[in-house]
Amino acid sequence: HIQWLGSCVDGQSVVRHQHLQKELLELTEAEGKLDELIRKCDLQLQLLTEDPQNKKLSYVMCQDVRMVVNPADQLVMVIKAPPETQLQVSEPSVGYQIALKSSRGPVDVFLVPEDSSKVY
Amino acid sequence: IGLPTNSAQECQNLEVERQRRLERIKQKQSQLQELILQQIAFKNLVQRNRQTEQQTNRQPPHNSVIHLPFIIVNTSKKTVIDCSISNDKFEYLFNFDNMFEIHDDIEVLKRMGMAYGLEAGKCSPEDLKVARGLVPKALEPYVTEMAQGPISSVFMTGASSSNG
Repeated sequence: HIQWLGSCVDGQSVVRHQHLQKELLELTEAEGKLDELIRKCDLQLQLLTEDPQNKKLSYVMCQDVRMVVNPADQLVMVIKAPPETQLQVSEPSVGYQIALKSSRGPVDVFLVPEDSSKVY
Repeated sequence: IGLPTNSAQECQNLEVERQRRLERIKQKQSQLQELILQQIAFKNLVQRNRQTEQQTNRQPPHNSVIHLPFIIVNTSKKTVIDCSISNDKFEYLFNFDNMFEIHDDIEVLKRMGMAYGLEAGKCSPEDLKVARGLVPKALEPYVTEMAQGPISSVFMTGASSSNG
């Protein structure tokens, strides 16, 4: 029995080829669906956070922040910066540095009082 | 159908393309999950604050609240921080003599449990029910999926980072 190895490989390739093409189509579809959901979700989040009523209520208490910081006796700084503010962190090998650069307004930095956790 | 070599070559190309798309889909799934978590955490926070304000019948003192969006930087109390600020407060430069951590507000909300532990796949059936109620119907299956297991951390590494 003599068989051309070439045509054998080819036959397998054709099947594999079809299979891959079918899979690619499915993946394209799945990705399109995801894109759509991400777009919708993004918009919803934007609407939520920009709603004036929500804006007034979207805050955390100082003690909330205190509670999530481990260990609890750390110094905690809050940075409130306008959108598009750039934050650069240096390589630890160079030193521990944070650089903030805003283009749309002043940046506000303050410390979270340490005893705010005692409220709980 | 072309020559065997062509066909094999094309299969390889398709295989590469398939991997590329799978990778992209994985990333987009993480992105979607993150957006869902943010939505749930945000709604939950607003609800909590609304309830508290209604119960106490007043708004919390201005200096005790931190409005979103924000980021926090924490470091040891012993760390010496050297800070330079431009006159207009547009630019800051902090030098620390020790390690620090940076967290964004969403990370804080998650740690407060505002995402019902969904970010870590730790969500009780009761909380899952509440969480599902906070998102549009089309997103509910994704919430259920998140509740079943830890999500990939691919996307989060960009949102919050720690130094040191």
